[in-house]
Amino acid sequence: MPMGNTQPSVRPASAGRAGGAAVTPVAHRSGARPRRARGGPGAERYAPYILVAPAVLIIVLLRLYPLILGVNFSFTGDGAQNGTAVGFGNYRELFADPLFRTALSNVGLLVLLLPVAVAIPGLLATFIYLRVPGHRFYRSVYFFPAVLSPVIVGAIFNLLLAFDGPLNAVLGSVGVGPVDWLGDPDIAMFMVVGVHIWATFGMALVVFLAGFATLDAALLDAARVDGASLRQVVWHVVVPSLARTIQFVFVTTMIGMLTSMFGLLFVMTSGGPEGSTYLPEYYIWIQQGQMNRPALASAASTILFVIMLVVGLMQIKLLERAGKED
Amino acid sequence: MSRIRLGRWLIAVPMALLALATIYPLLFTANVAMKTRRDYILDRFSLTDALRWENISMAWSSVGMGRYFVNSLFVVTASVLLLLLFGSMAGFALSQLRFRGSSALFLGCLAGLFIPFQVIMVPLARIMADTALIDTYPGLILVYVAQFLPFTVFLMTSYYKGIPPEIVDAARIDGSTVYGVYRRIMLPLGTPALLSVGILNALFCWNDVLMALVMMPSADHRTLMIGVTSLRGQYSDNIPTFASGVLIAAIPVLLVYLFLQRQIADGVAAGSTKG
Repeated sequence: MPMGNTQPSVRPASAGRAGGAAVTPVAHRSGARPRRARGGPGAERYAPYILVAPAVLIIVLLRLYPLILGVNFSFTGDGAQNGTAVGFGNYRELFADPLFRTALSNVGLLVLLLPVAVAIPGLLATFIYLRVPGHRFYRSVYFFPAVLSPVIVGAIFNLLLAFDGPLNAVLGSVGVGPVDWLGDPDIAMFMVVGVHIWATFGMALVVFLAGFATLDAALLDAARVDGASLRQVVWHVVVPSLARTIQFVFVTTMIGMLTSMFGLLFVMTSGGPEGSTYLPEYYIWIQQGQMNRPALASAASTILFVIMLVVGLMQIKLLERAGKED
Repeated sequence: MSRIRLGRWLIAVPMALLALATIYPLLFTANVAMKTRRDYILDRFSLTDALRWENISMAWSSVGMGRYFVNSLFVVTASVLLLLLFGSMAGFALSQLRFRGSSALFLGCLAGLFIPFQVIMVPLARIMADTALIDTYPGLILVYVAQFLPFTVFLMTSYYKGIPPEIVDAARIDGSTVYGVYRRIMLPLGTPALLSVGILNALFCWNDVLMALVMMPSADHRTLMIGVTSLRGQYSDNIPTFASGVLIAAIPVLLVYLFLQRQIADGVAAGSTKG
């Protein structure tokens, strides 16, 4: 789908280049000197490099270089041992720390809940695509929480889920509860993940709908003429045709769960109760900002990066396969 | 056919309930913001009997949300303008110009996509401290630009790939410099993509909390989202003021969403289908 709607005929991704533009040829002929050539022919020749320089410099200096620096850092000590090599000391300490172990087991919980977080927007997108009455309205409403900051979402749910808050008031009026939604170590993590899914399913929904836009409508019509039920249509037509989109949503939803729940954790539970809602990103922040253990935090960062790398490599694999199909 | 119709309505009911569950929390918050403290304690759900703006104005001035709002507005505007400038420059060069090393540079930019902030938080904070950029607006702006530049370059490159190279060639033959082509052809032609990417980046920066938390320790440099997090401790016994602060932070996003929903959805969709 092209970005923006003013040029529907332009398909950015697929338009191939026939010849390749000449970058420098005219610059040397004095007769056809460009009017605005400020730096002479040299400036023209280096123009492409000058154009990419700010982006490349910023990305290299503030993304790639810190990554290497951080990995190095994770093998040095904190405090009195600052700067001295400690081998895998930080990593040993990490895996001995119950809080970090909780963070990792919560990642496992996220992986288990991942299919739910993908299936909900997938099903809703299917219904919207099949033009359920009011589908335009649903699309706009469902997408809205996805543009709100996790901090705002977290603050709103703090209000709703407070022990003396409205949800318990409603439950109390029918004789249930009260439940300490964010204060019970067995419940809190599920509440935070639930709120995260509530807040972000609209994003995956839009991605699914973009996938549906490439779906061959004739297939669906044919299935319906043959009398297929909705379940059969979803299972035998929609799922196979959208395999690529579904995989993409799996990967991006997982990355989202690993890297954009900090705001919710910070506002809703601050990692508590009893450290039950720690995730690696929250652990990193606590060690770096509160405990003044930057090297230990770096080791946790490196582990998070390895987890991300596995997810990212899966994505690249998928892209390669999709490229071959095209 | 009628069976399918009935089925559609059966699906529409739970979907409508879900839609209600999606907007109700925000409506509840807006309603609470209009109530007095006493009203809220007596009945949390009843509709407010008057539109009271005292809570909002208190949150805006004495709680300091107004100052944080201005801080955020400044940081976000500067970050987005820089992102669009650097992103479109690089996108133009990487898609329309041929030069040695261009594909390596493109891959280098893409690699940035796979490095989340959490992973480089510690060394980045140290770099910022060493260069005296920590706790300054330029520092935070630079961190935002670095965070969202890979995505911006990626989308601008794929958008500019769709522009026929003949346009650039023709302008070059007419004697235009590369910079002239960028300024007079590529920037205007890129408007739809710049708009989509710009809005998305503005939302990302506006909504960020972790980067601002790490890079801006001082209270008077806080961005609006940090202001929201600080409401919790201070106003947990004054829910209407708390809700007002949340509302102040949510309203700009709500307005942007109401008017520019299409561009936001298009940007997300473009990011997914081009990936």
